[in-house]
Amino acid sequence: MSSIKIENLYTAYDKADVLMDVSLAVEPGRITCLLGSNGAGKSTLIRSILGLTPPRAGRITVDGKDITGAPTHKVIGDGIACIPEGRRMFPKMTVSENLRLGAYQVRDEALIRERMERVFETFPRLAERRDQLAGTMSGGEQAMVSIGRGLMAGPRILLIDEPSLGLSPLYVKENFRIIESIRETGITVFLVEQNVRQTLAISDYGYVLSGGHLVAQGSAEDLRNDKEVYAAYFG
Amino acid sequence: MDIGLLGQYLANGVMLGTMYALVAVGFTLFFGVLDVIKFSHGDVLMIGAFTGFTTYLGIVAIGIENPWVALVAVLVVSIATTAALGALIARYLVLPLKSAPPLNILLITLMLGTALREGVRLFYPDGSNPKAFPALLPTASLELGSFSLRADSVILVSAGIAVIIGLNLLINRTRLGLAIRAVAQDEETAKIMGINYTMIVLVTFAIGSGAAAFAGIMNGLYYNEVNFGMGLLLGLIGFSAAIIGGLGNIYGAILGGFLFAGLQTVGAVALPFASAYKDVFAFGVVIALMAWKPTGLIAERSSDRV
Amino acid sequence: MKDDVMKTPIPVSLPPLATGLIAVAACAIFGWLFLLAESEVAVLGLVLLAVLAGWGAQKTGLSATLGTAMHQHSGAMNGAIVASLLAVIALLGTEHFPLLMLSTMLLYLVAALGLNVQFGLTGMVNFAGAAFFGIGAYTSAVLTTHTAVPPLLILLAGGLIAALIGALLIVPVVRTAGHYSAVVTIAFGVLFKTFLEVNEVLGGPQGLMVGSMNVFGWDFNNGPVLMGHEMSFYVNYALLSSGLAILAFALTRRLERSWLGLALDSVRLDETASACFGINVVRAKVLAFTYGNILAGIAGALYGMMISFIAPNSFTFSDSLLMVSIVLLGGLGSLWGSALAAVIVVLVPEKLQILQEYRFLLFSVLVIAMLLFRPQGLLPRGVRSYFPGGRAQR
Ligand SMILES: Nc1ncnc2c1ncn2[C@@H]1O[C@H](COP(=O)(O)OP(=O)(O)OP(=O)(O)O)[C@@H](O)[C@H]1O
Ligand SMILES: [Mg+2]
Repeated sequence: MSSIKIENLYTAYDKADVLMDVSLAVEPGRITCLLGSNGAGKSTLIRSILGLTPPRAGRITVDGKDITGAPTHKVIGDGIACIPEGRRMFPKMTVSENLRLGAYQVRDEALIRERMERVFETFPRLAERRDQLAGTMSGGEQAMVSIGRGLMAGPRILLIDEPSLGLSPLYVKENFRIIESIRETGITVFLVEQNVRQTLAISDYGYVLSGGHLVAQGSAEDLRNDKEVYAAYFG
Repeated sequence: MDIGLLGQYLANGVMLGTMYALVAVGFTLFFGVLDVIKFSHGDVLMIGAFTGFTTYLGIVAIGIENPWVALVAVLVVSIATTAALGALIARYLVLPLKSAPPLNILLITLMLGTALREGVRLFYPDGSNPKAFPALLPTASLELGSFSLRADSVILVSAGIAVIIGLNLLINRTRLGLAIRAVAQDEETAKIMGINYTMIVLVTFAIGSGAAAFAGIMNGLYYNEVNFGMGLLLGLIGFSAAIIGGLGNIYGAILGGFLFAGLQTVGAVALPFASAYKDVFAFGVVIALMAWKPTGLIAERSSDRV
Repeated sequence: MKDDVMKTPIPVSLPPLATGLIAVAACAIFGWLFLLAESEVAVLGLVLLAVLAGWGAQKTGLSATLGTAMHQHSGAMNGAIVASLLAVIALLGTEHFPLLMLSTMLLYLVAALGLNVQFGLTGMVNFAGAAFFGIGAYTSAVLTTHTAVPPLLILLAGGLIAALIGALLIVPVVRTAGHYSAVVTIAFGVLFKTFLEVNEVLGGPQGLMVGSMNVFGWDFNNGPVLMGHEMSFYVNYALLSSGLAILAFALTRRLERSWLGLALDSVRLDETASACFGINVVRAKVLAFTYGNILAGIAGALYGMMISFIAPNSFTFSDSLLMVSIVLLGGLGSLWGSALAAVIVVLVPEKLQILQEYRFLLFSVLVIAMLLFRPQGLLPRGVRSYFPGGRAQR
């Protein structure tokens, strides 16, 4: 069980400041969610954690280890995996190659095969289509590949960026169920979403980001019942 | 035309095609991972050939006579050195300019090619004159009528094709190849998968440059000569081959290499009185092909990378 | 504009025009000394002095003042520059070799200006500059020895033939972009020499003789007489090269500042958007490519007449890269930058003979360093100033 701690984070692209003084904690073994509207800076926060857009200032620690500005492959090596926004398939590779890449840093071939079987159990649909090029899969199927790929590394912490983006309500519901079951396997989840109701329904704790500032936080239940927050940010 | 002569042309064409394909694969790999053209590739090949030649002189100087030992030493030293050179170029000239306009990398590597060429011409002992590359392979030949099949040619072509197949397997069947293809398709997602991006780029440049060194040694063994300017035309041919095949596609590069050799051969056959025009002819056709299919022959249908 | 003036911390505050005129005069004297300098030590000292002066001008804000002078008093400044060029030629008078160098530099500048329109303005790479220059030279060789075409027309013919041969490349160059069109011109640049070498009609590797220039009966092989002194016959070529360079410069400047230049600029910056705004991208590219090749061809034709003997070795791919280096070192799209870089690339190795052998190496390394550390070039092009009618302000 692992945790992420973010202290006083500032991140900017070139001249545009995006995150300002963000501090939050992702508690071990729980689902922590980050809510916010378009352009609030949610994906930027994930990019900062991953070292894709290193922060200007502030500190990010994983289980007490400072990973601020570390190269991405080192961050992944520390047991973090990410299901990126928009799924980001390798379009000219097969489903199994995509899954294989999720476990890129795993050296044990037997373990990789075992994990792939488990993904295929979760998503039987992928098993049928393991040799299909990922770029030719439907959006819903790609979402499955993306989730499966995130699990292939056997992460301790999983960062998920807007899994429900562009999916039909049925798929969205299914996705949230799977994320909930991921928590049951002991993986710490940091979930970025715009879908407030369903996200808070499965989360343990939540933060609200607006214009690069954290504007609210609390247990999922408190946030659910906080009429003011609702009105101000999710109206 | 008699069969023997035709056979000779064919054998020569296959030899050239293999060499060109080896060079073109490098261009395609670099373009795949970084979307850049590294024009110094041909001159890096020349450095490979000269490193091999120097190694041979060293081997002879310490009294080793066995040609096979010499050959292995030449190959190992040349490929290793050239691979390292390729990685260094990527690290210090190409990666720093990654976010600059793409043309700048073409320009900087064009200039680097000139610098390498001129460096060898000016600083290698008697560098402005061609060097006699040793015949390290058995030269026995099999006479088939008026056509003679030489053992060294057979060995060279087989080895070259083996290297091409090996590269292909490396790209398509290994973990390293998976990482290279991932970086080629989506740099950022590749990083998210935990791939050490910089490392993969450097390794890719090393592999491509090693293949070029192999082609350079092949060239030296085939023509029994190396010179400081050999890389310019070979690089240009490799670049054109990669382009007509569709940049970023390894099969396209191989196809392009053989196509170019085929054009040269046709040129030589069709213009026997002026075989010196065969390059002019081949490039003329290539330029026409590019005007006709501006994105290459294969990329037209599927624009996959590597 | 005001800002620039106020930023200049020059203690004695001369007006910009005076400063500019003094600077032009200083450059002329420097150029004259440089061209005449005999010993390597003297040349090296002068190069060092120039580097220091350039650095100092940057530091003290003198270069900003000069920029102001060029903008506010362009007529006076340009007149002064032309006058001092003529003065230097007159002062060199009987010196064959320095005059030849000066003329060569001016002709390279003409070609580089053409390249700058292709590359710097429109973003079309041309790695065959020396080939188009060579086409001009070979045209004048053939026409001067085999026909009675007046030499002045032969200059135009050189440009025309270069443009026509360039037209063969236009289809692939215009249809493809970036790397793809680069390979077309590289192939042409590399093969041009091969083609000349295997071609018996054009003299093979030995090359051809070229007849001299002749303007309305005045044969350029005679030295003009000035106040009773017979001067070097190269004075003729220096004057004509100056005229050509001034004309090319003025024309290119006009083009840059016209609506056409604006179109070329926008094609470089974003082809798709340009097309959306109704700019005919193909026409802009064809125009830029042709313009550049004509300039290179004309310059090459005069160059051939001047050196009277040409061979394939003067028009290699390395020479084409040298021309690209002029454009890159000076700064993309910067005409004065090209002028400065032409001086550096052509004159310095000629004066420092030890460098002559190393010049391709030297300038390729210099360009590499420039691309890494100062990609905008020595004299970066200013923010574009577009005023219909061609008069520029900032
Ligand atoms: N590469 C970039 N360069 C410059 N600005 C960027 C870049 N990426 C994002 N931004 C800006 O940063 C801000 C935050 O973007 P971010 O992607 O983090 O938002 P988000 O909260 O994830 O939004 P969404 O819900 O739409 O995904 C936006 O204003 C965006 O325009
Ligand atoms: Mg986002």
